[in-house]
Amino acid sequence: MRSLLLIPLLAGLSAAGAAAQQAAPAGQADAAVPLKAPIPPAGTLVAITNATVITASRGTLEKATVLIRNGKIAAVGANVTVPPGAQVIDGTGKFVMPGIIDAHSHSAAEAINEGTRSITSQVRIEDVLREDGLGLYRSLAGGVTTLNVLHGSANTIGGQNGVIKIRWGLPVDSLLFAGAPPGIKFALGENVRQTNQPQLPGRTPRYPRTRMGQEEVLRDAFTRAREYQAEWKAYEAARKALRRGQVEPIPPARDLQLDALVEVMEGKRLVHAHSYRSDEILMILRVAKDFGFRIASLQHVLEGYKIADEIAAAGTGASSFADNWAYKLEAYDAIPHNAAIMAERGVVVTINSDSDERARRLYQEAAKAMKYGGVSEEAAIRMITLNAAIQLGVDKVTGSIDVGKDADLAVFNGHPFAPASRVEMTLIDGRVFFDRNKAFTLEQLIEQLKRTRINTTSDGAP
Amino acid sequence: MNRLLLLSGCAALVPGALASQGTPSSAARQAPAVYAITNATIVPVVGPRIASGTVVIRDGKIAAVGANVAVPAGAQVIDAKGMSVYPGMIDSGTRLGLVEIGSVPGGQDTQELGQFNPQDNVLTAVNPHSEHIGITRANGVTSVITSATGGLIQGSAALIDMAGWTPYEMAESGQVAMVMTFPRVGGGGRGQGGRFGGQPQGDATEMQNRQVLDLYTYLRNAKAYNERSNPVPQNRAYAALGPALRGEVPVVFDVETESQIRGALAVADTFKLKVILRGAQEAWMLADTLAARKVPVIVGPTTESPANSVPYDAIYANPGVLAKAGVVIAFQSGDGGEGNARNLPYNAALATAYGLDPEEGLRSVTINPARIWGVGDRLGSIEVGKTANLFVATGDPLDVRTQVKHVFVKGELQPWDDRHTKLYEKFRARPKP
Repeated sequence: MRSLLLIPLLAGLSAAGAAAQQAAPAGQADAAVPLKAPIPPAGTLVAITNATVITASRGTLEKATVLIRNGKIAAVGANVTVPPGAQVIDGTGKFVMPGIIDAHSHSAAEAINEGTRSITSQVRIEDVLREDGLGLYRSLAGGVTTLNVLHGSANTIGGQNGVIKIRWGLPVDSLLFAGAPPGIKFALGENVRQTNQPQLPGRTPRYPRTRMGQEEVLRDAFTRAREYQAEWKAYEAARKALRRGQVEPIPPARDLQLDALVEVMEGKRLVHAHSYRSDEILMILRVAKDFGFRIASLQHVLEGYKIADEIAAAGTGASSFADNWAYKLEAYDAIPHNAAIMAERGVVVTINSDSDERARRLYQEAAKAMKYGGVSEEAAIRMITLNAAIQLGVDKVTGSIDVGKDADLAVFNGHPFAPASRVEMTLIDGRVFFDRNKAFTLEQLIEQLKRTRINTTSDGAP
Repeated sequence: MNRLLLLSGCAALVPGALASQGTPSSAARQAPAVYAITNATIVPVVGPRIASGTVVIRDGKIAAVGANVAVPAGAQVIDAKGMSVYPGMIDSGTRLGLVEIGSVPGGQDTQELGQFNPQDNVLTAVNPHSEHIGITRANGVTSVITSATGGLIQGSAALIDMAGWTPYEMAESGQVAMVMTFPRVGGGGRGQGGRFGGQPQGDATEMQNRQVLDLYTYLRNAKAYNERSNPVPQNRAYAALGPALRGEVPVVFDVETESQIRGALAVADTFKLKVILRGAQEAWMLADTLAARKVPVIVGPTTESPANSVPYDAIYANPGVLAKAGVVIAFQSGDGGEGNARNLPYNAALATAYGLDPEEGLRSVTINPARIWGVGDRLGSIEVGKTANLFVATGDPLDVRTQVKHVFVKGELQPWDDRHTKLYEKFRARPKP
């Protein structure tokens, strides 16, 4: 819970030097990120047989087989024939669900807050990813396959996100989710106001200190982005109209901050907006409308239930905690029925972790939407799978167990929402990246220690 | 909405004219009514389940339990067909009542200055009208241990019920244990220390070692003080340690690492303390020792990340390893004001996925904590004569999907007037704009 306060670390950009530098060039938002190692060799066949398959799109299938070819789901159902040569995973007694998608994570990021300025749309999480954090492995062991790795909430317009698959053990540039639309983090409320941080002597307070100021930062930034966009459009038009012998027009100065905001206005970059209170949420929905774009997801959105109709009307997704509340003043009206009310009113809702710890048991968190407000089991499953894929713009390739999609799967020893269930196996693109049978467990460590005869005499007294 | 109205209606119907029959529950202005929960699966937690039975509640106590129990005349009947009755759950580690909103100045009242505050009475700071209380109760957690933080001796822990007009009415016991922390020695930051954790670091290690010496010195002085017949001048802090030093109340040690556990056991040996360990993420290393010494362990929260140096499932598997070795365990939510106490049973659920027997998991949030905290004769199971702290639910309380439908504290049916239910009902009814 401490991490929720997200006391912004003033992360130097130098941290980027330690990590990978690959990425699509700015301004080419729709360019696919190169994908290196993880695609299994052509012709690879995997079959999970005789399992209960929770598809997240078409209900639950009993005694079903999931057939995977070349990393994609090739067939699903009770009457699927397993071709010869397929690697068979016996799913008897097991439950298979789509790999869990955590719509709000900071795992894998070396640093998350470039909070020195109110607008840092030029910085990129992609540049500070690490592949070796244990948090990643442990999320994988909780059935998580995809993460929306977000910039922190230190400033109104934060940095660009990175959507990754947890291809544990592969080089860092293999983590990136090929083809996932780029995004950016915005933030509102107390964290941006820096109300919960000690005012250090000698440190100049950063604008804005109020929610009013936050609106102003947004409107001012997008006003400038609009002008910048117009300058570029005029330049491009002038170049197009250029005749032989005429002087080449001079291009406007490139502005990496405004490039990202122009992409937002052009619908090429998804906005994930950290927000709590209903008033600030209404504000950002209005700002987005005025500048002609849609907020892809409201993050946390703890008071979303108060204005669920307005969020639904804006076509905006909501990504919330299951039941966290009271850790800040702006979280005092949070209720565990938030997801249910928003879903009831037509909002695409997800439950996220925002924490390496909660990511390990996101399936337990999603079940709370059934408990509080009574959403259906399938709707609750979707809140950590298909709905998250929709919010991240990757629902055509992952998020449900459907033919043609990536074989991103979590295999449980019981129903994912049942109390004694745990993840046995996690697959990404049809490859097993976690297998409890091969994992190092506490039981094994205890055996190991017994063999090495740990001294058990009391030695604590001085 | 229906449920809210119905239950508020019930509460209003409780007849005020009935005379109280000497119930210990002074929380009631009106005398407690007689209730009968019928057609229920009764899960006493001790003894076998009753597939379809009746629980009669009278004067704050469980008056009858069984398959063939008659409904007393005039009893308010709750038909629990298809539902189950469980004893109210007990959370063995919270700051409930002391923290309303942690981030707001004035929103928490948990930490006194200085290392030694055995004289502090936690009930003094428990806000009986905190929004956290109704919210905790709404999921069937009817009692919690609450205590202060900071320093080496934090003062008395109280066992409080999740209802009552004053802290003293809420209290099952104002002083169930003396709370101490054994300082972390030779380790790094929280969750990173211990045998498998970080390296001792210069000044920090020196400070920790000094804290260990300070703890011993303080306890020696307190022991000497309490052995004197008429100590003058009086020292309220030392005197407050008298019951713990005489073994009349247990000392609960908040510890994490193996070395802290060993250290706490050594303190207990030196001063002949009745010791309970709490937290104890590395207790699995000493499971046999703890079982042999009959030291109960409050485990959890399991909703924490393990140290980097242990297997991924270490936190989840620790309770099961202890229980299998014969250690009596109970769970804490560790709620420090985040409003997690209601999630107590899900801490146990995570452990059942990694080796803890589900029945033991249920006992670890009911009868085990009642016994550990010395109230096993009053709380923790559905048995005749016990305080009627219990709830009716749609199923296993360790299953997140289960919904709690009725909660009784000290024999009183609790209204659904918690902050979350009220906000839910209010905004669910918001007309389309």
